Amino acid sequence: MTAQEATFNRQTIEALQPIHSPPTTFWSKYMWSLDHKVIAKQYLWAGLLFLLVGGTLAMMIRWQWAFPGKPVPILGPTFLRSSGGVIGPALYMQLFTMHGLIMIFFAITPILIGAFGNFCIPLLIGARDMAFPWLNALSFWVFAFSQLLVIGSFFGDLGAAGAGWTTYPPLSTNIGTPGNGQTLMVAAVFFTGIASIMGGINYVTTVIRLRAPGMTYMRMPLMVWGQFLTAILNVLFVPVLGSAALLLLMDRVFGTQFFIAGAAAVKGGGDPILFQHLFWIFGHPEVYILILPAWGIVADLLAFFSRKPANWYKGTVHAMSAVTILSAVVYGHHMFQTGMNPLLGEGFTTLTLIISVPAEVLFLNWLRTIYKGSIRLTVPMLFALSMTFVFGLGGLTGLYLGANAPDIYLHDTMFVVGHFHFTMAAASFLASLAGIYFWYPKMFGRNMNQTLGKIHFWFSSIGITLVFGGQLLVGYAGQNRRLWNPFAYEVFKPLQPLNRWTSYCAFVLFAGQLLFVWNFIYSMSRGKKAEANPWAVGTLEWSIPSPPPVHNFDAIPVVVRGPHELSNPELERKLGRDWVGQAEVVASEEPGAVRTAARGAT
Amino acid sequence: MRSLTCLAMSVLPNPFEPVKLLRDASESGWKIDEMLETTTIFVSILFLMTVVWMMWSVLLHGPKHKAVFDHGADFKSWRWTALAALLIFVVVDGDLLAHSTAFMFGTFFDFKGAEAKPGAVRIEINAHQWAWTARYAGPDGKFNTEDDIVVLNDIVVPQGAPVIFQVTSTDVIHGFNVPEMRMKVDAVPGTVTRMWFQPKDTGVFEIICAQHCGANHYKMRGTVTVLPRAEFDRWAQVTAVNATRAFDPKDMEAHWGWDWAEHARVE
Amino acid sequence: MAAARGVIPYRPAAARGEDTAWLGMAIFLGSWAMMFASLFFAYGVLRLRQPGWPPAGTPPLPQVLPAVNTALLALNSLALQRALVAARRGEKSHVVAGLVQASLLGGAFVVLQVVLWTSLFKSGLALEDGSLAAVVYGLTGFHALHVLVGLVGLGLLLPAVLRGTLNAARNNRLRLWVMYWHFVAVVWLAMYLLIFVV
Repeated sequence: MTAQEATFNRQTIEALQPIHSPPTTFWSKYMWSLDHKVIAKQYLWAGLLFLLVGGTLAMMIRWQWAFPGKPVPILGPTFLRSSGGVIGPALYMQLFTMHGLIMIFFAITPILIGAFGNFCIPLLIGARDMAFPWLNALSFWVFAFSQLLVIGSFFGDLGAAGAGWTTYPPLSTNIGTPGNGQTLMVAAVFFTGIASIMGGINYVTTVIRLRAPGMTYMRMPLMVWGQFLTAILNVLFVPVLGSAALLLLMDRVFGTQFFIAGAAAVKGGGDPILFQHLFWIFGHPEVYILILPAWGIVADLLAFFSRKPANWYKGTVHAMSAVTILSAVVYGHHMFQTGMNPLLGEGFTTLTLIISVPAEVLFLNWLRTIYKGSIRLTVPMLFALSMTFVFGLGGLTGLYLGANAPDIYLHDTMFVVGHFHFTMAAASFLASLAGIYFWYPKMFGRNMNQTLGKIHFWFSSIGITLVFGGQLLVGYAGQNRRLWNPFAYEVFKPLQPLNRWTSYCAFVLFAGQLLFVWNFIYSMSRGKKAEANPWAVGTLEWSIPSPPPVHNFDAIPVVVRGPHELSNPELERKLGRDWVGQAEVVASEEPGAVRTAARGAT
Repeated sequence: MRSLTCLAMSVLPNPFEPVKLLRDASESGWKIDEMLETTTIFVSILFLMTVVWMMWSVLLHGPKHKAVFDHGADFKSWRWTALAALLIFVVVDGDLLAHSTAFMFGTFFDFKGAEAKPGAVRIEINAHQWAWTARYAGPDGKFNTEDDIVVLNDIVVPQGAPVIFQVTSTDVIHGFNVPEMRMKVDAVPGTVTRMWFQPKDTGVFEIICAQHCGANHYKMRGTVTVLPRAEFDRWAQVTAVNATRAFDPKDMEAHWGWDWAEHARVE
Repeated sequence: MAAARGVIPYRPAAARGEDTAWLGMAIFLGSWAMMFASLFFAYGVLRLRQPGWPPAGTPPLPQVLPAVNTALLALNSLALQRALVAARRGEKSHVVAGLVQASLLGGAFVVLQVVLWTSLFKSGLALEDGSLAAVVYGLTGFHALHVLVGLVGLGLLLPAVLRGTLNAARNNRLRLWVMYWHFVAVVWLAMYLLIFVV
């Protein structure tokens, strides 16, 4: 390609992303901002707030199991005055319902995908903003509206939603859970789905269209791959949840019978299992939606802080893509107990076990990345390592549940709860924290206190392992889930001490998070001012100031190498440092030679 | 310090002690337990290897170690990753798949074999919020007739013979679950699901609802009492006589039974 | 700049913002297609689980009205496609004519759907009457909402077209709404065939 063509391309890209004058009014700066970095922060605050709410609900659940029937301290006198501070069975089912729904849709999703996706994607691919900034702002406010519906649902006339986060009918219809609490919650899920789809459209289009020149797909940081694949899943499968929610809303509000069967059915009635199909066709991709960005973050961080390239980058990309593709065809393992045709069950078992192969590949790549590296135990690295640990454990426990036969014993036990908490709550949560500690300097222009961060790391990692490990153990011993008082059963009475110990660990885990809250808020105004590249890595966001200007890049960068070109001996000699920027042309380096310089570099 | 710890450990209850699989009182439950235990061994080995690998790397390849500039992108390098993943799949997943398939097709769905065995007992379960009603066909072998035995929550079954259940629900989805027989199946309104097990030991075992079904889900408890064959036959005889005596042809709600053969779908 | 060799360039055509908008719309419609696909899946499951379809005791579904509506949407798509071609040639009057035709056809569709629903209701099929009612009212109702949104879109386009501000960006908005309407028409065709014919 000639120099003329290169200039022409640069000009057209710049024309595609013109630099606007920065917003000036309070409204355009903070409320209806079109800047992806501001929208990211909006999502982050909204998500962190609901993370606190969801965590509090979890503490109440753990209290009930540690001290069944005893009044809850602090929260009891405030919120549970009518029952003397005690959690009754009806309230208990609302607690676990809202805990699940809030954590999945209103905490982890906005943090991992809303905040990190929005903040990182344009910066890491060398763009000035998302493809559709207006749609981006709209998606946040639709999400905020859905959060309002959640809050409203707590004050439902007959109590809050109580049918479990899985919302199975007929329990979730007017037969099982009448009242507008449940209805509002289903509506909230519907609207947050719309926000997710809008976001997904934006992310996919942005990654496809707005990558800087030279930023091939195989040079994107794995973080972007994680967000890209998640966005594809969001776009394809959240609508399925939307249809399930829509049909359920119709049953609740208009009296239709999509999911009503049994005594209440009229003229043939509907099919409750239909809901499960629709829900899990969404639901299984959803768990991959929640883990793919986490995989991306950890893959990058492990490379950065081992000071060497991510092992077999292409393999990781292919593995993540394979998981994405397979995610839709394994959903039946959530429905093994519904009286499924044996061949169907066999099919789902086989596919579910197959999906473990790409997951193993990318996990092994992580292990090989840190091996023979030069590991720096920074706070983000500590969290990335603990995520690797918990995901390893969580993923392995999935094997038991993916096969039809062992699932007969383990279905609906705490083993399932332990499994998904390890993979979703622990892994995604730890990866989110890793991401927050990593990108905080870039987002807010200040450094968080690293000592507090390390203490927070120990609290979180040990706490998480003990709490969710405790769940796995009692589940293996057969304890069922969603029981207000598991010890009403003779066979579970011996498990009470273990449950109590697990609850103590949970309380400590929660307390440790308060350290993080303090650190996060305090550092925003009092943290040490951050430099442009505090972690000494080469992805594009670290080549601009912390925090970046509204337009991100003064000139759209031209990318010449991959994201993890660390410890290249030749470049180390030339530059005197072990990292080199993705758009950094090294003096007297032949641009064409860049591609062949490092063994196997793309 | 050590002596204090020992003292404490000998006095305090060990919270991990009850962490083992529930007792198994069924003929075929051992197959499931074998799968669980084998997988646990494999999983523990793999996880231990992972932890050792990670600790090795963190401790020995720290900041003082010089990082090796290797992308791992050439075949000679990544073949080991692919091979390892494949090996784990074949050994661990393969073992699980083989045993699960054998159990599902050989045992779980062997309704034909179960129904054919002499002395097999057929029970229809109607779950509702928040109790289990169970119906036996009685001496005439037909359901929904006047000699049907209908019990609430506490079913009685014979030792050493298959007990086959057809399960449905009146209102919401419940989970008919007898963990000490290693068997459960959802109770879905509008459908009839099936399961069977053969009790090996006598005793009283709990039915625990395994699908959230409302505020009193935690209380939806039943029992399965396994009696020696002779005692069970006596019980069935006496209860059937009482049932016939108490039969009220006008009580339509009590006639919730269904024709067994319609849903037997014997393979 | 001399750093031209070895750099992978942007395709010049890809730099036009219109193609980005087109991609966004295509993904959006893909998303919506999944939504409708799930609704069709739901219909399939419900229908297969019934011993007979239509279920016993339900009135027969009308045949003429839905067929007319299918024709209306087909003509609508045609009118909009011609409007798009006219826009590319800069023939403002033809664009306006096409938009007006489309609005009338779309409006007529909605009116006839309401007639369809009221006649069904009068023939004895209430909303609560089991899975057939749920499917017919639910799916066609949801689809009709989308037709209404499409009509709003045409309304939003009309002022720009009348004012004569037919530049590349406006053409693009027209193109996006035409894509939307084609989608709505195809979904209706599927609904018509699967619910009323088969």
